[in-house]
Amino acid sequence: MIRTRFRSLQMRLAVRLAIPYIIAMVIGVGILVYQAYDTAGSLNDRDLNLRAIDIARYVSSDPDGKAQLNLPAKLAAAYQSSADMFAVRDARGQIIAAAPPSFGTLVATWPPATDDASYFRLKNFGSESEDYYGLSIGLENSAGPLSISVAQAAGANALVSALLREFVFDVAWVIPLLVLVTLVIGVLAIRSGLRPIRDASEMAAGIGPNTTSVRLPDDNLPSEITPLVSAVNRALDRLEQGFALQRKFTANAAHELRTPLAIITGALDVMEGNDDLAKLKSDVSRMNRLVDQLLRVARLDSVAMDVSEEVDLNEIAANTVAAMAPWALALERAIVLDHFDGQVVITGNGHAIEDALRNLIENGILHSPPRSEVTVRVSPEQSISVVDAGPGISPADRELIFERFWRGKGVASGGAGLGLSIVKEIMNAHRGIISVKGKSERRSHIHAPIPQGRWARIINAIHIGGL
Amino acid sequence: VRLLVVEDEVRIAEVLRTSLGKAGFAVDSVASCGDAQAALEVGAYDAMILDLGLPDGDGLALLARLRSRGDQTPILILTARDAIEDRVSGLDAGADDYLVKPFAMTELIARTKALLRRPGGALGTTLKAGNVSFDTIGRDVMIGSVSLPLPRRESAILEHLMRRLGRVVPKLVLEEKLYGIDDELESNAIPVHIHHLRRKLVDAGAAAEIHTVRGLGYLLTETKA
Repeated sequence: MIRTRFRSLQMRLAVRLAIPYIIAMVIGVGILVYQAYDTAGSLNDRDLNLRAIDIARYVSSDPDGKAQLNLPAKLAAAYQSSADMFAVRDARGQIIAAAPPSFGTLVATWPPATDDASYFRLKNFGSESEDYYGLSIGLENSAGPLSISVAQAAGANALVSALLREFVFDVAWVIPLLVLVTLVIGVLAIRSGLRPIRDASEMAAGIGPNTTSVRLPDDNLPSEITPLVSAVNRALDRLEQGFALQRKFTANAAHELRTPLAIITGALDVMEGNDDLAKLKSDVSRMNRLVDQLLRVARLDSVAMDVSEEVDLNEIAANTVAAMAPWALALERAIVLDHFDGQVVITGNGHAIEDALRNLIENGILHSPPRSEVTVRVSPEQSISVVDAGPGISPADRELIFERFWRGKGVASGGAGLGLSIVKEIMNAHRGIISVKGKSERRSHIHAPIPQGRWARIINAIHIGGL
Repeated sequence: VRLLVVEDEVRIAEVLRTSLGKAGFAVDSVASCGDAQAALEVGAYDAMILDLGLPDGDGLALLARLRSRGDQTPILILTARDAIEDRVSGLDAGADDYLVKPFAMTELIARTKALLRRPGGALGTTLKAGNVSFDTIGRDVMIGSVSLPLPRRESAILEHLMRRLGRVVPKLVLEEKLYGIDDELESNAIPVHIHHLRRKLVDAGAAAEIHTVRGLGYLLTETKA
């Protein structure tokens, strides 16, 4: 299921569009977030830098020449919070001022800062066990060179988080949305672009053996598809020609073979004579039957069958039995029609089914002993069974009997072994089933004495299902 | 009784002339549609045997022309085409019967006679099967030279069986022919009539017998000598 869905052109195009869209979207959003972080980071660095410079401004030498920090009250109050820390050292590394003092103690162990700011991170520091980010920088001051370290709690990085939040919620969500909208528009465009192809496919699906003249329209088709459609149309042209040629050939062959046979048959009928003439007549009638069946096989091979008419199996069975009863009677066999009132309507080819049934009856009659009967049974389950009184068919042979030119051993039916293969082909064309059954069912009205243990009977059942 | 055979295959035409001649018909044969039309203009024929593939046109076209002119001559089509569609189109075009080549001459003769026995046909009003004859006007049934009196319905059944000698007459057809729509019909009415009729034919020594095709109907055949 999934496999077939991915085989559709539409799905493939959609997937091929969606993948780069998603990758581009991820990269785009990633770059923007990174940029935002970067900008926020440098803003933070500058802020720390400014603080350091700010603090340095308030360091002055007291009259003793000793450096000291005099923060304005407001600023000093700000540094009382645990979020911000600073430490000022003099050139010798002595702490001048620090808030909180623990930070001063820590910083005192560090080497003096240089002119280039160095950044540091502190994990779980201080009374609040917070993470801190800070810088240390060396600054020249009237009181001499100073090493100033300033740090800020990471959680207090309000500027950055505000910036990010604003960006993500106000700007970044638009990007996936835009990508999604573009993707949907793309898929819809593919759909409508593929519509002519779908229409052409539906038309092609409707082409059958009896509509070989239909050609696919190539106007309104995308130029990439037009070569395919015209190639299909040309293939249809050739098929149609082939069909026509084959039909003509079988028709001509039928005519050319039958005419001399008709002459011989007629001439023999007119002659009067002895046993030799009778034998000759039977030879010719065998030839007639062979030619007839060969032509049927040829036609089944060359002409696709139209199986779309509505036919009544009861009526077909009645017509076929009526047509064959005189022949069976002449051979001292009887045909019994076992049907019920009403119709068994199926979709198929009436003439072909009649043909199949005729072959089954012929087969049954030829394999039944004299004065026995062959039953043709129509069942409402859309099947016809032909039950004969013959010796039956061994299970091993049940597949073989439908092969062309197969004949049972020791059976002198005079047939060419084509009848049942014709039945099978007709059933195949109908997507029907043909099955052989042996049945040990005794019937009192069979007059022919049959040895014990040979009650096996052939039931050639044609099932035409799924109609 | 005069027949026109339209057949371009010389040998088949020859065989047809010989065997139909032996069966007691006067036969003229022509080999094309044009000749056939010319022959029909000068002579009156009781039936025509028409081959379909003719050198100057399709027999079906000739058939359609004749029928559109109101010509009701019984026509039996001979064809080497066996696609059933072709046969059906022959009957649609107004043919009375058809035979596919190769055919048994006895079958052709029997079919021709059946055509000629239709109402208004040239063989008149007497049906024959073996030693049984049936005068459809006087409704007399003769076995050899002995008259066999039959009740109305039994004689009607016999008539239908004799008209279609050697072919199956479905029981349904007999019911339709014998009974009006409003008649009360016992389900075994036909079998009972057949039973009586069969007994009477056997007792009278008829050389024709009625066979039952169970589930379908009946057929009458001439008893083999």
